[in-house]
This record gives sequence, C-alpha cells and structure tokens, in this order.
Amino acid sequence: MSDQSPAHNLVFGMAGSGGDGIVSAGDSLLQAAAAEGYHGVMTKSFGSQIRGGESSCRVRISTDPILNPGGNLDVAVALNWEDFLKFGAELPVSGTTVVIYEAATLIPPDRIPLVGVVPRQVIPVPIAQMAKDTAGTERAKNTVVLGLIAGWFGIGAVAVMKGIRKKLAKKGEELVEANQRAFDAGRAFAMANPLKVNMNIVPSETKGAVKLITDGNDMCAAAAIFAGCRFFGGYPITPSTEIMQFFTDHVWKYGGSVLQAEDEIAGIGAAVGASFAGVKAMTATSGPGLSLKTEMMGLATIAELPLVIVDVQRGGPSTGLPTKNEQADLFAAVFSAHGDVIRPVLAPTCVADTFRITVEAFNIAEFYQTPVIILSDQEISQRKETLDPIDTRQFEVIDRLEPSAIDLKDYKRFAPTENFISPISHPGMLGGTYLASGIEHTESGAPTNSGTVHARMNEKRTRKFEPLKDRKDLFEVLGNPDAPLAMVAWGSVAGVCREALQMAQEEGLNVKLMVPYLLYPVAEGAYRDFFASVRKGLIIEQTHLAQFHKLLRMHLDLPSGVRPLARSGANPFLPGEIVAALHNLLSELQRRHEGKLQPQE
Amino acid sequence: MNGTATCEFQPKDYKSDLKPIWCPGCGDFGVLQGIYRALAAIGRPPHEIAFVSGIGCSSRIPGYTTAYGFNSVHGRSLPIAQGIKMANPDLLVLAAGGDGDGFSIGGGHLAHMVRRNMDIAYIVMDNQIYGLTKGQLSPTSHKGLTTCTSRHGSLEEPVNPLLYMLAYGAGFVAQAAPTDLAGMATIIEAAIRYPGFAFVNIQSPCVTYGMEEQQIKGLKAMQESLEALGHDSSDRLAAMDLAQHYGRKLHLGVFYRNPEPPPTYGDLVKARQEELSKNALPVENILDLFIKK
Ligand SMILES: Cc1ncc(C[n+]2csc(CCOP(=O)(O)OP(=O)(O)O)c2C)c(N)n1
Ligand code: SF4
Repeated sequence: MSDQSPAHNLVFGMAGSGGDGIVSAGDSLLQAAAAEGYHGVMTKSFGSQIRGGESSCRVRISTDPILNPGGNLDVAVALNWEDFLKFGAELPVSGTTVVIYEAATLIPPDRIPLVGVVPRQVIPVPIAQMAKDTAGTERAKNTVVLGLIAGWFGIGAVAVMKGIRKKLAKKGEELVEANQRAFDAGRAFAMANPLKVNMNIVPSETKGAVKLITDGNDMCAAAAIFAGCRFFGGYPITPSTEIMQFFTDHVWKYGGSVLQAEDEIAGIGAAVGASFAGVKAMTATSGPGLSLKTEMMGLATIAELPLVIVDVQRGGPSTGLPTKNEQADLFAAVFSAHGDVIRPVLAPTCVADTFRITVEAFNIAEFYQTPVIILSDQEISQRKETLDPIDTRQFEVIDRLEPSAIDLKDYKRFAPTENFISPISHPGMLGGTYLASGIEHTESGAPTNSGTVHARMNEKRTRKFEPLKDRKDLFEVLGNPDAPLAMVAWGSVAGVCREALQMAQEEGLNVKLMVPYLLYPVAEGAYRDFFASVRKGLIIEQTHLAQFHKLLRMHLDLPSGVRPLARSGANPFLPGEIVAALHNLLSELQRRHEGKLQPQE
Repeated sequence: MNGTATCEFQPKDYKSDLKPIWCPGCGDFGVLQGIYRALAAIGRPPHEIAFVSGIGCSSRIPGYTTAYGFNSVHGRSLPIAQGIKMANPDLLVLAAGGDGDGFSIGGGHLAHMVRRNMDIAYIVMDNQIYGLTKGQLSPTSHKGLTTCTSRHGSLEEPVNPLLYMLAYGAGFVAQAAPTDLAGMATIIEAAIRYPGFAFVNIQSPCVTYGMEEQQIKGLKAMQESLEALGHDSSDRLAAMDLAQHYGRKLHLGVFYRNPEPPPTYGDLVKARQEELSKNALPVENILDLFIKK
C-alpha cells in the first residue's frame, strides 16, 4: 500500500481478554465489510483456557477476492499487552502497522513492548474509559474499537452500527442506545485525531451485492447435505464439531438424521451402517478421532461402501495443539490402515472451494464405492470468509450404481466388471441380498481365505481408482505454465501461496504454482507435466516432516532443485516469507548457470 | 414395525447356501436353527432384514441366513446396526455375536444402544470363552478359569450380561439355550417383536475350547425355566434378583419385558423430521442460510 493513496486491502488484528468481545467485534467488522461490498476473511485464535483466557481475531478486508488472512497487520488493536503478545506470530506487527492500544495500560507510546519493531504510528486510546463514560460499562469496549476503526479506516459506519443493532436488538433498546453512544465516541475520537497517513479503504464497487458469510465447517456440512448426505455419525472434537452441529440443526429437515455417538468408532460405524443401508453418510473428526476410525475405514474399503470422512487437522500427534493449524495428518489420512488400501484424499484450500470439494468427495465415494477423506484444517474450518453467491445447480450429484433388473436375476455383489465397479444393492432391495464383510470374499460375498481370490479382489479394489488420477479438474496450475521456478501447496497453505505467486510475479519472478485438490492417489502424470519445465521449486506445507514432499517422492522423481519449505504449525506461513524463499531459489539458479539461464518473461 | 407378517415363510427360506464353519457340536448351530424358526414365525421377507455381527465364530451367523448380512469388525455390530436402522427404519434389524465381541471389545456400546432404544434385537452367543482365537479368557469366563492366557487361573470376576442390561434400562432382557430349541425360538421371536431394543443372552457352548461334555451336562442340570418359577416378567426388580444367579443357575425365559414400551428412537426421529421439514429451504438453496441481511 503506498502511503498517501487509499488502501485496497487492510488487515486488522485485535487481541484482549476473554470478556472483551474481541471475536464479536471481528464478526461485526466482517459483516459490515460484506454489506459494503468488500471481500473479507476472518480468523480467530484462543488461548488454552476455556473461558476468560486471551482471545484474538484477525480480519482482512479487500476490494478484491482474497484467499488467506494476510501477512503483517496494517492495524493492531491491543486491549491489553499481555494478551496481545501471546499471539506474537499470529498477529505480526511491522513498520507499516498502526498500533492502537488501551491507554489505561499507562505505557508511553515509545515504550510499548514490541521488541525490534517501530510501527508506523502508535496511538493510545482510553478505550475502557470511553466505554464507561458513554455506555456505562466497560463491556462496550469492543463497540468503541469498532467506532475507532470506522472513523480511521472508512469502513461503513452505518453498516457496522446496523450489525450491532441487530445483534443487540433482543437485549433491549437501552443497550442498543448505549452501544450507539460508545460507537459514536470511538468514531469522534478518530475524527479528532487523524492518522499520519491516510489509511482509508477504497470504496467497493460491489456495494450492496449479496454476499454469504460462513466458515469451512458450516460450508462442508451444507455441501454434504446438498450432495445428498442424509446421515451423520460423529463424536465432538475440536476443530470439527461445528460440522456435527450444522447437521443437528438442519439434516432432519431433509429427511435425514444425525447421531452423536459414544465415541469415534461408533460414529463412523453408524455411518458405515447407514451407507450399507443405501444412504449417503458422513463422519467428521480431528486427528485423535481419525486414529480411532481407521479400522472402520478399512472395513468400508473392503466392503466397498461409500463413505465420506472429514478430518479437520489440528496440531498433532495425540492431543497436540487442539485449537491450532497444521497439515500433519497427511500420512495418517493416506496410509493409516492395514493391508493394501487406496483411499482417495481430497483437500479444500479455502471456505469457498470447500463446497465443491465436499460435493466431489461424495461423488467419488459413491461412484467408486469407497471411503473418501476430506482433509480440511483448523484454519479453513474455523475462519470466516465473505463469499459471492454460489450457483449450486452447476454441480452434478452422482449416486451409486444400483443393480438393474437383469443384474438382480443372479446378483453378485462384487461381480467383476470392466471398470472394477460392481452395482451395489441395499437392504430392502428384492433379489439383492448379499453378505457385506470385512473378511475377504468372493464375487458373491461369500467369505474366503483363498489367496487367489484375495489377489483378484485387491486388484479390483485398487485398480478401480486409475481414472481418478486423470481428473484434470482436481488440480489447478497458476502462473506461467513454462516457468522454471515452481511452488506446490495444498490446503489452507495454498491460499497463502496464491498470494505469494502474485507478489512474486509483480516482483518479476517467472514462477508457477500447482494446487492439488486430490492428494491421493498421487496423480503422477499431473505432477510430471507440471515439473517438466521446473529447475527449482518448493513444496510448501505446514508439517515438520515434509510429509507431502515425501509422499510425492514416493511416487515420482522430482527435479533435484525441488525441496520442501516445511515447518510445523501453528504459525501461518506469510506470503512474504514464501516470496523470499523463491528469491533464494532464483539466485541459486542464476549462480549455478552463471547468468546463462535467465528467467524468461 | 418389526412384527408385521406379509406372507408365509418357512424356516428353510432363511437358510443360505453357505456351509457353517463351526466345529461339529458347537452350540451356534442350534442358535441358527432358532433364528430361522423365529424369522419364519415373524414372516418378514429376507430382503427386508439386515443382520449385523462383529467378529468371532458366532459372528459368522449372518452369512448363514438369506437376509442382507454384515459380518463387520470385532466388537462393532451395534453401531453399524444403529446406522442401518436410522437410515432405513422400515428394516428388521438384528445384531448378533459372541460374549467377547459384545461385552469386551464392544462393551462400551451396550449402554448407549440401550439409551437410544432403537428397534433392534441383539443376540449374544455366550460361550464364556474366545472361540475363534482358540480358547482365551472371555469377559464372562468364571473367576479362576484356566485358559491359554490364564495358565494359573483368571483373577477377574466375570461380567453379568443380564444384570448389565437390566441396570442400563433395557426394555427386553431374556436368556435362552439351544438345549431348548423351541423355547429359544419363541424367545428370539418375542425379542424381535418387542418394539425397542431387545437383548437375548444365549448359553451356546463351545465344544472345542470351552466346555467338556461333562460340563455341558452340568449346564443342562442348571437349567430352570423362568415361567415355571412363576416369574412376573414385568417386574424389573425381580428380574434383577434372578439375574444375580448368572453363572450359577441357567434361567431360561424372559427376565424383563417393559409392559409399557416407550416410543422408540425411530418414532422420535420420524416426529422430528416431520416437524422440521416444514421449514426447509429447497436443498439447492441451502447456502442461503449464510446470507447475512
Ligand atoms: C480389533 C480386533 N482385535 C482382536 C481380534 C481377534 N479376535 C477375533 S474374534 C475374537 C474373540 C472372539 O470371541 P467371542 O466374541 O466370544 O466369539 P466366539 O468366537 O467365542 O464366538 C478376537 C479376540 C480382531 N479380529 N480384531
Ligand atoms: S471353536 Fe467353539 S465356538 Fe468356535 S465353532 Fe468351534 S465350538 Fe463353536
């Protein structure tokens, strides 16, 4: 952002104690931004305390579509420093940040506890006092903050207050009025103390256009219901629980049902049962729950039953970092099973594409008669995004292949077919009775321990996935397709890389980015094509072991200059950090070829 | 509901072509006969029946019927059966397995099965030993039993399946034995007809790793009909008293049958679906839920 012209993009970070209403302020800001036609992304982060601990949120608002919550903050709001500093890496302050903080902390602006950074401007504001004076209670601090933001950054004062009014309407007119006064006070303070540089956001051209606001978990559940899912079995675990909550709110309306089971095993077991009974079914969990579900996933594989399993990743292993992001369940999703198993694994990269990926997951599960894992992550699942309306009618919904009347004359559940997919009956279907089992079975479903039959069935259960690897629509390549410099990233990290790509291109780098939505089976061909032009590259992921890099290397030879940019969660990658790594690669490339191989524009 | 006869069926109509792998003399043969008879008495066509089991010798049983069978993984028949019932409440859903399957690895599911009161009948072939894995201690083995995993005798008290089920609040709890085939068939039939979750414990001896011929004779000597005792099966406390005799007396018959069965889970689900479907958006418009006005 240049210093004098208005911004197209602003990143706000706020932190305070549990009762400060930080997240609620973030929500209001995002909603107001959406009403004003901006695009927005909001993430929230909490300390480990259940109530009353520190909480923070980050809201990014932009005139253009955005796919990640941004890097350094443009605006930092600290209701107290102790809490703010607990989110050091999540709320990075830089030389271009305007820092607003509670004046009651009595820290002079030049002594604020930000080691080694000199923010663009630092403004103490008596937020608590203003809340007390205007609303009669410190609880209105978050409304004062919203007033300050509206005043300084030009985010529709009307829209913010309209949102607050709606939120508080139930609690009585008195409270609404009190908050209006707090808001006005914040705004007046901002007007009376203008910023050193103009940081007003450019008015959006799409003001008034309909926008959706949702997070990845709700989106996933809504997409599942759209795709025809009518049964959910699960057990609560952060950060996946909202998926079950959405089902309990809505699936009944569509003739479905939901079971909060006694544990993860029962949750997925019920889903396996529902699928056997002919109904599209889903379960959702996070790392430790996925561990428990693995035996049932093997069962669904050998019994060839469609099933969608969502794993919303958090930091692991074991209970790990329950509320923070990581991508380290990749190996577990791909490999955790005994025996020879191929299980498709898909990953959305943002809230919006969670819809398509979830519908795809059901389509693949139903078509191939297999469990499919959706590998979501804490970041996508719990962050809120503003979305343009999605025309759901453009998505095809695929149902499993049922036996025809002729098939049912002499029905063999696991009959060999050309594409290895056999019509599947379900209880209630006359002529279709068979034995589903976890034990190896013949074509008819009869238990066997014949090695020959086992080998044939293993072939059936794995070869059926070959066509899936040719699905071009499950991969996205951005940037110059012939670039010598490359990035590969999946899940929420892909969203950051999309922005890094843009930045790198603006800086003149000849680079491209591959975003796989299908992680497994590994589509060797797609990667081979992608890497054909590549001399140097980064596989970017939030894991300690560089799991995705290793998974790719199991399946194909990568150019020797391709290496992992991998680190554990929970701190998000920043676009600038990725661009810096690309610059390093480029200079290596240039050094090695002594100027012979210049990037071509 | 489970019990509506639609046409005439014979026990043989429920017998599949698969040949049981059980050892000659295994009690499970008798249980299978009892199930054929009970199903014929009820008369639901095989394709409207879903029969789920876990893993164990006994868990092979669904494959020997012409119903839709599901021989799943160890200990998990009940969750799977529940999913089937929720997905299609019109099916007759049966679950079966061994004592290890049901009370050891799967024991955590029992209380919840009862709480949910789905219209499912659960039959346990209780041989007080692990058959399929060749003779280890089971949760219903009596204290002191010597097996290959308890060479010096077990140190644990057995669980009491009947008392468990009664304590959890099951609406139908019964015990049967293949030594009284007709009685067993009647009990299984009653369990299936009970509108709600029904549990039948069947003393089904394992002749290979469990009981010697002598012991099976002893078992017969322990046999005592609850009916002959004049037990009132609507009296849950009396049932609990009698259930205390598990392992010492073999009471056959219905320990408890709730005289006023509460609505089943399925009934409640249906009511909720009907109530809530009135204000459903067309599914194509489900994303409208996310529009913030
Ligand atoms: C997760 C798992 N653990 C262990 C086993 C091995 N196993 C198979 S059957 C069985 C016990 C069977 O005993 P029971 O349920 O009493 O049935 P029975 O064979 O006596 O009829 C065990 C331990 C398994 N298949 N899966
Ligand atoms: S091992 Fe025992 S339980 Fe298993 S089939 Fe043989 S007799 Fe029956």
